[in-house]
Amino acid sequence: MNLFDPFTLPYMQRALLEVLVLGALAGAVGVLVVLRRLAFVGDALTHTVFPGIVIAHLLGRSVVAGALAFGVLTAVLLTVLGSHRRVGDDAALAILLTSFFSVGVVLISRTRGFTADLTVFLFGRVLAVDRADLAQTLAVAVVATLVLALLHKELVLRAFDPEAAAAMGYRTRALDLVLNLLIALVVVAAVEAVGTVLVIALIVVPAAAARLLTDRVAAMTAVACLLGAAGGWLGLAVSFEVSVDHDLRLAAGATIVVVLVGLFLVAAAVAPLRRRMAAR
Amino acid sequence: MEPDPVLVLRRATVAYEREPVVEGVDGEVSAGQSVALIGPNGAGKSTLIRAVLGLVPLTSGTIEVLGRPPQAARRQVAYVPQADTLDPEFPVSALQVVLMGRYPRVGWLRRPGGADRQAAQRALAEVGLAERASTRFGTLSGGQRQRVLLARAIAQEPRLLLLDEPFNGVDALSQDLLLAALGRLRAAGAAVVMATHDLGLAHLACDEVCLLNRHQIGFGPIGTTLTPELLRATYGGQALQLRGDGVIVARP
Amino acid sequence: MSLLDVFGDGFARRALLEAVMVGGLCGAVGVHVLLRRLPFFTMALGHATFPGVVLAALAGISLFAGAAAFGAVVVVVVALLGARERVDDTSAVGVTLSGAFALGVLLLSAQAGFSRDLTAYLVGSIITVGPGDLVTTAVVGAVVLAVLAALHKELVLGAFDRGGLAALGYPVLALDVVLLLVIEATVVTSIPAVGTILAVALIVAPAATARLWTERLRATMALAAALGATSGVVGLLISLQWRVAAGATIVLVAAALFAVSLVVAPRHGLLARARTISAAPGPTPAG
Repeated sequence: MNLFDPFTLPYMQRALLEVLVLGALAGAVGVLVVLRRLAFVGDALTHTVFPGIVIAHLLGRSVVAGALAFGVLTAVLLTVLGSHRRVGDDAALAILLTSFFSVGVVLISRTRGFTADLTVFLFGRVLAVDRADLAQTLAVAVVATLVLALLHKELVLRAFDPEAAAAMGYRTRALDLVLNLLIALVVVAAVEAVGTVLVIALIVVPAAAARLLTDRVAAMTAVACLLGAAGGWLGLAVSFEVSVDHDLRLAAGATIVVVLVGLFLVAAAVAPLRRRMAAR
Repeated sequence: MEPDPVLVLRRATVAYEREPVVEGVDGEVSAGQSVALIGPNGAGKSTLIRAVLGLVPLTSGTIEVLGRPPQAARRQVAYVPQADTLDPEFPVSALQVVLMGRYPRVGWLRRPGGADRQAAQRALAEVGLAERASTRFGTLSGGQRQRVLLARAIAQEPRLLLLDEPFNGVDALSQDLLLAALGRLRAAGAAVVMATHDLGLAHLACDEVCLLNRHQIGFGPIGTTLTPELLRATYGGQALQLRGDGVIVARP
Repeated sequence: MSLLDVFGDGFARRALLEAVMVGGLCGAVGVHVLLRRLPFFTMALGHATFPGVVLAALAGISLFAGAAAFGAVVVVVVALLGARERVDDTSAVGVTLSGAFALGVLLLSAQAGFSRDLTAYLVGSIITVGPGDLVTTAVVGAVVLAVLAALHKELVLGAFDRGGLAALGYPVLALDVVLLLVIEATVVTSIPAVGTILAVALIVAPAATARLWTERLRATMALAAALGATSGVVGLLISLQWRVAAGATIVLVAAALFAVSLVVAPRHGLLARARTISAAPGPTPAG
């Protein structure tokens, strides 16, 4: 199996660039998601952008624009909800995300081609990525990287010690909103490539693996980006080679996620050895 | 000529829904002074500290920090929480935690510079942990973590320092180092307010005491305020003992 | 055409029965999910049973059995992963959820008929429920409710005070596993009705709504079951009338009941709390 051959084709090159950028971006944002144990929030966001996608699609507008509108709306809602612990945050979150998702399903169920459309939105079509999609992803990546770099120390402080952050005068809700918006941005960027269901993997898995391998946030971020990009490349290559050589159609997005989880398991196996070596 | 007090409380009251959590707190703390907040669990000590930090609103009365409302004075106020409220798995080193105290100075969008790192190193040295600068925070002992949090506050160079049960579960060596560092802070002009159960340490560390049991029972110099009758009123008649030179036992 | 005429058709009658049974079951189990703060885990379970369904379809065995078996595997994996240091529970669930789901998608994409089966699995297809499914639901429901009734006091104590339960000599881990399997069985049973992504809503929302109205645990479970069944019926009726996806409509009804209760419930609702705060007497003057 050759992991470089597939990328002589132009559409594979575009797909590769897309997953490299997405993987690195999601990995970086994922570090904060993992440190703050926000995987559920991230997952909620992937479900709540769905009606935005459906509405945009039904109106003939850009799917990404629809996702963005609902992503921002949800980020704001989540930030507001986050500070009112009433029913139990997880319960309210679960109800919120399934309601939004249901709205999307109801809307789309009235159209023909229901099932095909649903599949595309949920799982993406990375091999159909065109130049415009790539440009969008790059733009989002630039914005998100800038925000992360500029606000890094404040976001980490809030993750580690929210009380001290508040005592020092930082508005933790504003910082939370920034992170929620960043997650929403990543979800929106990934919608067309890997779909809403699988993007949570891009966000959580590389960062969780990186956490096993290092004790420093800076290193964790670098490793997460690397793993995210590597997963994208390997997943694409493997799915292509298997489809060509063994005539077995493997969905590209899903292959990427399975590769990432595989990398996570490797990291989990290696971690105790690393710790023993470091202790010597 | 007496300089203006650092912290002024006038009939401060905090209520949550219907119930007052702490009410009628009245007193002043000047530069270099140290006040112990003493009272049983649920007395409102932590709530009062949060009110001074501007984290919870007052229902009535006023709090002024350096002549301003609490939210306006945050850069001059440092907070030392209990170390066990923090995630022990978080990937930060001791030095990185202390550096966090410099953030208000560094400001948004910028990274801490050489001067900040030196200030952080000095603060760590003050609490006797200079050689542990790159150790992960969560692997330090309870007392060491508490010292790191004090170092973070020192690095902030505050005018007012608020501590919540700083000696809980802390080993004797760490206690001594904490006390010494607090003494140096006071000598440099900072005012200190600490909530504590430990009456003996209150004697060692503080010159004034505020007795709280949801309302204020006394606020004044330790010698005249930390008396058996007032203690009995604060603790509702429970038996208690002091370590140190004297033993005061208040029985129901 | 009146709404009731609809139930002349066999499929509609079966769908109605399924909606009542699944709604009631989910409501009762949901109370335990809330007690132990397991909504995220429940959602992950729904996603993670997917490969089991696909494998079962490929092997030609009961989809329910495949989903149930795989779900049990997932329960164990999550427990093991979460027990390691450095992997917190939330991330462990996130990794397992996405890994298992991707695996299922992979398996399914390798054969034809991708879209249609997938959709039914994801968002439910209650109007194609057959008599066999009804029997399965009834049996599973009966077993689950019997287990919950038999172990009620142990499960409640375990949710509230695990240490206390262990100190009394109970096998805490075994009881945990029993409950997780109960949740898993409920999720799998709900799939024909509302699908895997939405199952968590039917489990969590009626229970969350019930908690806003009563503080007594058994009353909460009864109310949750009633609300769940009601959401099922009303949602199904609306979806048949307007010809939209049934599972999603059921979920929206359950969510609407929750939202309304959040505002109007007599003690815990938003209006009630606002009234309490404004009626509070002023602070007593300092002595």
